[in-house]
Amino acid sequence: MPYDTIVIGAGLAGLMAALGRAGQGERVLVLAKGHGATHWASGQIDVLAGDANPLAAVERLRVERPEHPYTLVGMPALEAGIAHLRALCADAAYPLAGNLHQRLLLPTALGALRPTALAPATMVAGESRQLADGRPTLIAGFPELRDFFPPLAAANLRAQGFPADGCYLALPPSGRRQSFDPVVLARLFETAEFRAEVGRQLAEEVRRGGYARVGLPAVLGLRHATEVVRDLQAHAGALIFEIPTLPPSVPGMRLYHVLEEALLRLGGRIQLGAFVRRGEGRDIVLEAVYSEAAAREQRHVARRWVLATGGLAGGGLRATPDGELRETALGLPVRAPNRRADWFARRFLDPAGHPVFSAGIAVDEALRPLDAAGRVVYANVAVAGSAIAGFDPIREGCLEGVAIATGYAAGAT
Amino acid sequence: MDHIELSLEQSLDHCIKCNICTAACPVAAVTDRFPGPKYVGPQAQRFRHERQPVPDASVDYCSGCRVCNEVCPTGVRIAELNARARARIVAERGLPFRNWLIARSELVGRLSCGPHAPLVNAGLRFGPARWLAERALGIHRAAPLPAASAYSFRAWFKRRRRRGSGPQANGKRRVVYFHGCATNYYEPRVGQAAVAVLERNGFEVILAPQNCCGLPLISNGDFAAARKAHAANVRKLLPYVRQGIPVVGASTSCTLTLKEEAPEILGMHDAEVRAVAEGTYDIFEFLRNLAERGELDTAFKPIERALPYHPPCQYRAHRLGLPPLDVLSLVPGLTLVLSRASCCGIAGTYGLKREKYQIAMDVGAPLFAFVRGFGADLALCDSETCRWQITHATGVASKHPIEILAEAYGEAR
Ligand SMILES: Cc1cc2nc3c(=O)[nH]c(=O)nc-3n(C[C@H](O)[C@H](O)[C@H](O)COP(=O)(O)OP(=O)(O)OC[C@H]3O[C@@H](n4cnc5c(N)ncnc54)[C@H](O)[C@@H]3O)c2cc1C
Ligand code: SF4
Ligand code: SF4
Ligand code: SF4
Repeated sequence: MPYDTIVIGAGLAGLMAALGRAGQGERVLVLAKGHGATHWASGQIDVLAGDANPLAAVERLRVERPEHPYTLVGMPALEAGIAHLRALCADAAYPLAGNLHQRLLLPTALGALRPTALAPATMVAGESRQLADGRPTLIAGFPELRDFFPPLAAANLRAQGFPADGCYLALPPSGRRQSFDPVVLARLFETAEFRAEVGRQLAEEVRRGGYARVGLPAVLGLRHATEVVRDLQAHAGALIFEIPTLPPSVPGMRLYHVLEEALLRLGGRIQLGAFVRRGEGRDIVLEAVYSEAAAREQRHVARRWVLATGGLAGGGLRATPDGELRETALGLPVRAPNRRADWFARRFLDPAGHPVFSAGIAVDEALRPLDAAGRVVYANVAVAGSAIAGFDPIREGCLEGVAIATGYAAGAT
Repeated sequence: MDHIELSLEQSLDHCIKCNICTAACPVAAVTDRFPGPKYVGPQAQRFRHERQPVPDASVDYCSGCRVCNEVCPTGVRIAELNARARARIVAERGLPFRNWLIARSELVGRLSCGPHAPLVNAGLRFGPARWLAERALGIHRAAPLPAASAYSFRAWFKRRRRRGSGPQANGKRRVVYFHGCATNYYEPRVGQAAVAVLERNGFEVILAPQNCCGLPLISNGDFAAARKAHAANVRKLLPYVRQGIPVVGASTSCTLTLKEEAPEILGMHDAEVRAVAEGTYDIFEFLRNLAERGELDTAFKPIERALPYHPPCQYRAHRLGLPPLDVLSLVPGLTLVLSRASCCGIAGTYGLKREKYQIAMDVGAPLFAFVRGFGADLALCDSETCRWQITHATGVASKHPIEILAEAYGEAR
């Protein structure tokens, strides 16, 4: 069935673009091999790390880095994109807090403070300025949840001058005895009895230690987090905040659900399990793509396309055995360090990052893909998110910001 | 190591341990008996060696729904790994009689279907008999066993041909209809609707010789019998496929088995098997292809109804999107509302088993809530066992979407 726009990739960038097009009344299909970084990222919105004012930092970057995606799409795309996402989250009763002018510093599971621009309201009570108000903080967890150690997080907070203690809670009885990954816990938190029992233990701790706030792993409900947190606060008699866990990330999944619901409401379609293998075009017009399906490929036809396949980490780029980087969906030219030896820095945790993570597809200001000579490859394709060349989302701390700004721009044109 | 084993081995190296599959697995969500796809799939696979005893029994609790494959961001073929691990257990420990029996849907169907069907059905509704079957066989006493038909689809088709009431061959467009066991012995009405729709579109329907597709044999781990069944089907269908006549089926699990499950899981990869796979279509896939070429008869009678539709996992595993939705959206007045539940739980024969019945009911709970909450007296689903499960759990009648399409053509009785 022909679509107006087909988006390849169901990460933040792809969904933002799909929402934009569907919002203009277009028939939109999202094709994706599987879930994207939304299911493992923190659920916080990183715009640019390294400066107390993310927006000012982006302004500076626009002068220094003419090929950075922020520079290409411009400030209004970032601001309007963020505003759109905020509105969607607010509509879904999962509001985002913070603004682009003052970064938030939020504790990680290890008790470090990590900068971000916006965070779900369920996390803000743990912001550094609140932690510094002199009143003690409790970090609480469950022994059954792996990789979340309240005493360790508390000790690290104390080392940074914030009064904090850690404690383990007893997991309330439930049908489950063994597997307690973040998603199982999130579902349990959606039952009132479970919450009440956790709340009762928290109230006791709060009474004993006089805590102003309690940090819990970010597993406080999959679909109704705001309600779960509000309820727990009432039980505990203290503010509650969530701390991101290892993947799968419940707050990331909430973000995915917010966007997914909004897109389906606008009549958009999402087809997961669809690995796009190749495209078919004439001159500089992409006419069809083929996705892997049982026994034979499925052909998809659209007028316009968005490629949001997430680069190296999202699976949009792959290295061939002979050391070439290939773009997996359409076979677009990849801009990458020339030789394999140039992909990496000498040290594993090099502050300058590894050059290979800036590999991607070169684009013009309309986000159209360019070849090595700077000519447009397809005029009806826009590239969004980490698939774009010339920046390193992880090191620069701008994964969500770039996905939102470029996704929004690709959805608006 | 055959081709598929090799690619499975390689695909498990793509696992980045993100746990997205475990977060999505509907079985792991409701029971501790199943630790989830990551653990029994890519993780355990490393410990399964040719000459070592199988390390795990929990893999038997995988229902084979393939939701994990659908969401995995790196394309690990988890469900296939699990199916093969189960077959190893069966090869080592033998097949329990219960599983041997329910895997033989063709045998059971042939014995139940016919003029004596009312007697058989009364027996199946008879409490003490079900109690006995649970004690002696391990088939849960409440499990939705289908009611046998008093006549088989093939008998109906042949009678009609003899009476000459079907349209005569026009020698141009022909299709082979693959009915599968459920249509033949339990629900001839689905086959009748499919034939009506195909003939309405100018096709001569050929009833080629055929046997059970072997899916229940595969999912119960009886690979030797499954190989025989598939080889026999390939032998019977090949002459038609070689003439370019497509094989079309309305049982989405049969068509998936012919297209992909049998070749992949059983490791059957010769040219004949491939030719049959490539020549096989699900009926709505086939009709959507017609529509895309402008060849579908769209003279539909309006049907003013909104109905809930559950795309079964077996359909999603075709990785084609939602062809039934695409085609039925052409019927004026008809609105299908998509279920967002991942699975109905029954998974063919899984939910019949005494130890798995409750798991299946818990897995299906979100779907049942959706169907009940919808308030219609009819639900649509392409897979027969899913339809029986939906009706069993909700009391709402269920039909194959092709029956509605036949109705829209004014062909329903
Ligand atoms: C384990 C892990 C942890 C990470 N942690 C962090 C972190 O903490 N912070 C950070 O900033 N970054 C992190 N990253 C990097 C991050 O994943 C990328 O920067 C991110 O992918 C970019 O978002 P996106 O929306 O552009 O793409 P993604 O969210 O990756 O979405 C890509 C989408 O495209 C689909 N896709 C890819 N190729 C195809 C194809 N050929 N056909 C069809 N669909 C396709 C994918 O299935 C997916 O739906 C991490 C990556 C991994 C693997
Ligand atoms: S979703 Fe895929 S990559 Fe992630 S843990 Fe599961 S198998 Fe591994
Ligand atoms: S096939 Fe279904 S039940 Fe089995 S592991 Fe995958 S998601 Fe879980
Ligand atoms: S029975 Fe239906 S919904 Fe359930 S596993 Fe099978 S196809 Fe999926």
